[in-house]
Amino acid sequence: MTRYNRMTPRNRVTPRHNFGRPAFRWFVVLLMVTGRVGAWAEAGSSQVLTGAQLPVVEHELANGMRWLVLPRTGAPTVSFIVKFRVGAVNEVRGQTGIAHLLEHLLFKGTETLGTEDPTAERLLFVRMDALQDSILGLEARGDTTAVASLRERIDSLETEAGAHVLPNEFERVLSTNGGRGLNASTDWESTTYFVEMPSNRAELWFLLESDRMANPVFREFYTERDVVAEERRLRVETNPGGLLFEAHMAAAFTIHPYGQPVVGYMSDIQRLRRPDVEAYFRRYYGPRNAVVAVVGDVDADQILAWADEYFGDLPAGQIPEPVLSVEPAQTGERRVEVAFDAGPQVRIGWPVVETAHPDAPALTVLSWLLTGGPTSRLHRRLVTQDRVATAIYSTMGPGIQFPAIFTIEATPRLPNTTDDVEAAVYAELDSLRRTPPSEPELQRIRNQLEAGEIRQLTSNLGLALQLAGSASAFGDWRTTFGFTGRLAAVDPEDVRRVARRFFTREHRTVATVVRPDSVAGR
Amino acid sequence: MNLFRPSAPQFAPAIALVWVGLPVGLSAQETTATAVDFLVFPPLEFRQPEAVQHRVEPGVEVFFLEDHSLPLVSLFARFRGGPSYFSREEHGATTAVPILLRSGGTVDLSPDSVDEILEFYAAQISFGGGGPSSFSSVNTLTRNLDEVLELWGSLLREPAFDPTRVEVWRGQQLDRVSRQSDIPGRLAISKFNNLLFGDHPVGWELRPEDLDPEDLASDVLHSVHRRIYCWGNLTLGVTGDVTWNDMGPKLEQMLDGWPPCESDLEPPPTPTFSVEPGVYVVQRELDQSTIIIGKPSDVRLADNESYYSALIGNSILGASGLTSRLARRVRTQEGLAYAVGTVWTTPTRSRGIIAATTQTRSESTVETIRLIAEALGEVAAAPPDDFEVRDAVDRIVNGFVFNFETPALIVSRQMLNLAQNLPLDWLQRFLAGVQSVTPAGVHDVFHRTLPLNGLDDMVILIVGDPAGFDPGLEDLGPVRFLEEEEAVPRP
Repeated sequence: MTRYNRMTPRNRVTPRHNFGRPAFRWFVVLLMVTGRVGAWAEAGSSQVLTGAQLPVVEHELANGMRWLVLPRTGAPTVSFIVKFRVGAVNEVRGQTGIAHLLEHLLFKGTETLGTEDPTAERLLFVRMDALQDSILGLEARGDTTAVASLRERIDSLETEAGAHVLPNEFERVLSTNGGRGLNASTDWESTTYFVEMPSNRAELWFLLESDRMANPVFREFYTERDVVAEERRLRVETNPGGLLFEAHMAAAFTIHPYGQPVVGYMSDIQRLRRPDVEAYFRRYYGPRNAVVAVVGDVDADQILAWADEYFGDLPAGQIPEPVLSVEPAQTGERRVEVAFDAGPQVRIGWPVVETAHPDAPALTVLSWLLTGGPTSRLHRRLVTQDRVATAIYSTMGPGIQFPAIFTIEATPRLPNTTDDVEAAVYAELDSLRRTPPSEPELQRIRNQLEAGEIRQLTSNLGLALQLAGSASAFGDWRTTFGFTGRLAAVDPEDVRRVARRFFTREHRTVATVVRPDSVAGR
Repeated sequence: MNLFRPSAPQFAPAIALVWVGLPVGLSAQETTATAVDFLVFPPLEFRQPEAVQHRVEPGVEVFFLEDHSLPLVSLFARFRGGPSYFSREEHGATTAVPILLRSGGTVDLSPDSVDEILEFYAAQISFGGGGPSSFSSVNTLTRNLDEVLELWGSLLREPAFDPTRVEVWRGQQLDRVSRQSDIPGRLAISKFNNLLFGDHPVGWELRPEDLDPEDLASDVLHSVHRRIYCWGNLTLGVTGDVTWNDMGPKLEQMLDGWPPCESDLEPPPTPTFSVEPGVYVVQRELDQSTIIIGKPSDVRLADNESYYSALIGNSILGASGLTSRLARRVRTQEGLAYAVGTVWTTPTRSRGIIAATTQTRSESTVETIRLIAEALGEVAAAPPDDFEVRDAVDRIVNGFVFNFETPALIVSRQMLNLAQNLPLDWLQRFLAGVQSVTPAGVHDVFHRTLPLNGLDDMVILIVGDPAGFDPGLEDLGPVRFLEEEEAVPRP
């Protein structure tokens, strides 16, 4: 089936392990004369740079926009990532989903792309937005009788504005020039735009991307808002896994915005205002808040020359206000149920730490140890031996900058229940609290981390995502690579220590999917 | 630039993709749209790497592409024979075998030992099967190649199908069947395939009766394994940090003593498509409907005008992301759906299907069906615009280099081409073929495939709650309600 754009994969960031990929240096050797890391190299040149030793060229424009360029030989393609350090944690109640809606709207073209008459469009925007404010005013007074007719007038005006629009021109230009994988994603802490291009057409990306950073037009606003509402219905409201995730996060984070859904609550989505989105864009989408990573068959000097030429004049913009909310210490077990006509699922979460915390590596190793493959403890016990679950995973998240939760997610194997799964999970964690893991167990994990570091070099896009992600979150592209060294230093006693510290009954939050009584009884 | 290692027997002609434009700089007065037209791109001079085709004893074709950029080696195995070559009675076993090759141990190693060895060597390994094929791949650090290759060969050749692991898989599948209705999209695809293909392997879903213990007995599994995983059905691919001088003997050693095939597998029967067109509903209390509208298609994968026209036509209609006609209307202009698109399958030997799919809130279900039908009818009634064809062709031609992005992509594609009996120069033919497509050709293939009103002859499947549809389904003709599967016995 066709893959669709403008999506946030599951609208959340739930990598199995959130602390960057391993960066063992056993394969680190020498920089090739060209300064490039090789792909498709000749025999005899199998020495390869990994991790923090990659020859990344760094540059910062006068307006604060940071650039990371990694030239690589191989197929003549290039991956572009632009990451803005702003996401759902920067939203307030009543406007949840604004970062995600903005992400959608940034594919709508600019003052001079995707339109035949931007002035006429603007005039219609004013009328539509005034009607929307009238709707909000009526709703605030509890008078909704005229809302439907006002919305019809908005729809009519949007249709009228559509006569001036060349729909989806941004995507059309890039894709007809060979662009691949044009898309974007929003998470709690950042918003990321990406595409791959044939490397001879790299300049086209500079032209289009700089134009949408400078002159975006949020046209087709109300229909796109409806599209996002449908996205929420698809990913959350008709999806038991989506509902469970949202309920679990909301229960685990009572104060911190990690508890808010990236896609937004339906009532918020349906009331977002175009002027608010424009203000949000102006505030947070300046180059000072952006990191660009370019990885592929390119010349770094040329890339940086284009960076200056196309992006150098953009005003710097603002850095988002810091998120000061701190989740209070949990003082008792929390349980929440999602009633849905589906089989049982369970998520068990415990508050842990942020990625930069000294305990994070041991928690990551613990995650591998519990669910990292067929030999992992919970998989072997619950799936293979006792057969109480069909699948089990663990994650840390939903973000990396603030104290996260460590979640174990499992699907009970019928007729076993979520209670059976919980009991088995707690028994295994008790065992880890008493006895540290064995050295061979940790060695298997280290070996996989090492191979993973090599494998991540096979993808330009994957590397670009990691470079930009690290630089955006931690200020340095090397930081997430550096986590590997921290992971390698984890010893068995470290794992036992974090198991003892964090995995207590009074700190856990448990969410389950249960069938509504009417369905369960039939 | 470091061009690819000249390991292919002959190089395909270099591709020179050139945007012809005027070399002028940008000025402040220029619009972005204008500036795009005036950008000048250098030609993309690029030698297409091709895998070298070898044959190793006892007669297995191997596609080999050397690449020393990373200390990794990837191996691929593709077998003729998959679930569609077997009877319904063996459907459980044919579905189980690929998974159990990975999890069920070997004659010499317990399942737990296999797990531990693979994880110790950090090998990535996969097994799968679908339609007429079965496949496996493994990726390993070069330094572990010998150990991993030996284990991979044992897993493929000498499975033990450990009863404990068979039972693990059986329980997982029973559970999966019982959850089939949990996700509306999954339920819709399953029901649609079942409606169109009926009692044909493409339409089969695992049922509890496919998973009876006797259907997964060791002798049944070994029988299926023997008929598929014999060397006469096998094609191999290798890419990575190894030379052929090193790899060839290793493969011969792995294949030494591998049994020949006892008999040729009979190709699956051709689907008959006896379903009656019309509206079918699976009732679920949801506030969003999942919709699939489709019908059989006669277009086959072949080097001819129909195939290339269908490919370009499908791109214009619904397979080119937001720029397709369906996405523009249903999503961008009306805001009725997040995802909308089409699929047009073109098997080499039998008929395929063309289908559009989307999800929309309950009340707009019929409106969305009508919009989709309108778009289907329009492509059947009139040729697309020249620029639509040009854009669709440009997407393929200008992005052609992505066919060569990784050695693994190249090797696995050549293996697939061989399996589909496509000529060695298929990619060149393909590139020329799509560039020869005309609006008239696209119109012709759509006119032969789709009804003029977009509804007649179509099977319309909806998973949703008709009580919430506004207007109701009455205008679309008679409605048949499909029952969800009976509750599955709990294991």
